[in-house]
Amino acid sequence: MPNHFLGVKDASIWFGKREAQVRALRGVSVFFERGTLSLVMGPSGSGKTTLLSLLGCLLSPDEGSVFLEGEVVNGLNEVERTVVRQKKISFVFQAFRLFHSLSAIDNVALGFELRDAALPGRMKMARDLLIRFGLGDKLNREPNELSPGEKQRVAIARALAGNPPILLADEPTASLDARAGKNICQILRNQVDEHGRTVVVVSHDSRWREFADRTITLCDGQVEKEKGSL
Amino acid sequence: MKLAWQNIVHDRARFSVTVLGVSFAVFLMVFQGSLLAGFLRAASRLIDASDSDIWITARGVQAFEFGIPIEGRLREMAAGVPGVLETSRVCMAFAVYRTPNGKQQVVALVGADRNVGKRFPAPDAHGSTEGMSPDAMLYDVSDRDLIQVTALPTEVEVNRHRASIEGQIEGYGAFLGVPFLFTSYRNATRYLAFGPEEAMYVLLRVDRAHSISDVQQSLRQRLPEVDVLTRDEFASKSRTYWTIRTGAGGAILTAAVLGFLIGLVVVSQTVYANTMENIEEYATLKALGASHAFVARIVLTQALICGALGSILGLLAVVPTIRYAKSLISWLYTPWWLLLVMVVPSLAMCSLASIASVRSALTVEPGRVFRA
Repeated sequence: MPNHFLGVKDASIWFGKREAQVRALRGVSVFFERGTLSLVMGPSGSGKTTLLSLLGCLLSPDEGSVFLEGEVVNGLNEVERTVVRQKKISFVFQAFRLFHSLSAIDNVALGFELRDAALPGRMKMARDLLIRFGLGDKLNREPNELSPGEKQRVAIARALAGNPPILLADEPTASLDARAGKNICQILRNQVDEHGRTVVVVSHDSRWREFADRTITLCDGQVEKEKGSL
Repeated sequence: MKLAWQNIVHDRARFSVTVLGVSFAVFLMVFQGSLLAGFLRAASRLIDASDSDIWITARGVQAFEFGIPIEGRLREMAAGVPGVLETSRVCMAFAVYRTPNGKQQVVALVGADRNVGKRFPAPDAHGSTEGMSPDAMLYDVSDRDLIQVTALPTEVEVNRHRASIEGQIEGYGAFLGVPFLFTSYRNATRYLAFGPEEAMYVLLRVDRAHSISDVQQSLRQRLPEVDVLTRDEFASKSRTYWTIRTGAGGAILTAAVLGFLIGLVVVSQTVYANTMENIEEYATLKALGASHAFVARIVLTQALICGALGSILGLLAVVPTIRYAKSLISWLYTPWWLLLVMVVPSLAMCSLASIASVRSALTVEPGRVFRA
């Protein structure tokens, strides 16, 4: 495992108590190499989002291990896991999760602030990032003044602020129309090709297949099949 | 901390309610504080106004307003104690006051010797009383309606004796709900039917070459049947009586504490509601790597912004209100430092109010970010 950049080994996790207990993942082992875009698919309740939460150090497995850059990270305490997320991992969400009271540029600037509060020139870097994503004319718009596609581009810009090596995306195109969805797929693909980031996308959207290096299909908390090279 | 500011101003209605809640609390605390400060000052105002170092009172007298006669010879005995430089007398008793048109009113008549002190309100002692008659009396301008004086001098009756209101002063308004009238000691004994062998308060000035406490000790040994108190001790005793033993101070303090609690509840509720409304954003912040300190700072900053703005608004409202209230409650007093000091409890109130909110924001599970 130390050779793999990111992954889980024999990971199991339960939710709920007693009779209502559900095993979301059943001994899953899956690994991701640096500089790849991996797609995780599967029906609802198959454990896709749970896998993403483990990879993002948001949850710890009840059994098994989570690896990041060859190190086991599931034994870390909450503060240490927060630091890992701050330095290495970023997220893109289906519901965008932008800060509703902040403008587009302030949302992205906050992304920089969270990664390095002492970083000078945050506003300029946020502006440059948004301009690169075609939002130069909407810097000061609040999220409710943006289209879903624009919101997701702002969210991706915020996720990329501070240059994290890992990007975890949960259904990033689910709320978007076809054109906007394809645009987001291309943006995340570029992050792999141009910046060497490791991107893991959880999605039902089959459009992602053409952008992904590898597709992992989960079913009932287990890896059903894998397609593409590791 | 832009997020903290933007989050609170984004919901202007809630923000306004919070700021108004703090303003109300600050207003109430400053107003009640002014009542208490004024009450404390008024409770010992006449004692503080004397130049004397030591007051001799009947045993057990709790406050200036409730003096008991003592033997007049004690004055001569006190004067013989080494270190006593000068003696003077003050008396106070309630009397019936009758205006020329027949209206009757109970007044607190205070008589004082000329040498009691320049600040003490007595016609003899006052610098601006030249040309006043031997029967002259002074009243406080805030008691004009009670005294019913329309011009000076005005002929009146005190305990069926002719008297003349010939001057007005400020700062010694009705504290008991009964107006004060000030006259010379000689006149007061006449109106109050005090015998020459009686006194009420004997005041002593101590030679600077002697220690006041040494002289006080000597007096206590020589005059065991009376209380011998320094001016500060008698002033403190009087204030304690009025504020604690009558319960008046407690009532005022309770209202000030209530103001604090009302503000605390209002700010707690609104800051908590704001936090819970934005709880998903706190989860997002934590998922993105925000530290506990960062999250706590946002909530606390929101509360402190509300506290600071509410304090300013509350102070802006209370200053003119107190100015107006002084025309109704003459002894109301707002020390300048009270206005500054009140910012501290209001910010403390907001910090306290944010504790529950900070806890909620810190304990939110970052894993919930993936729930749509």
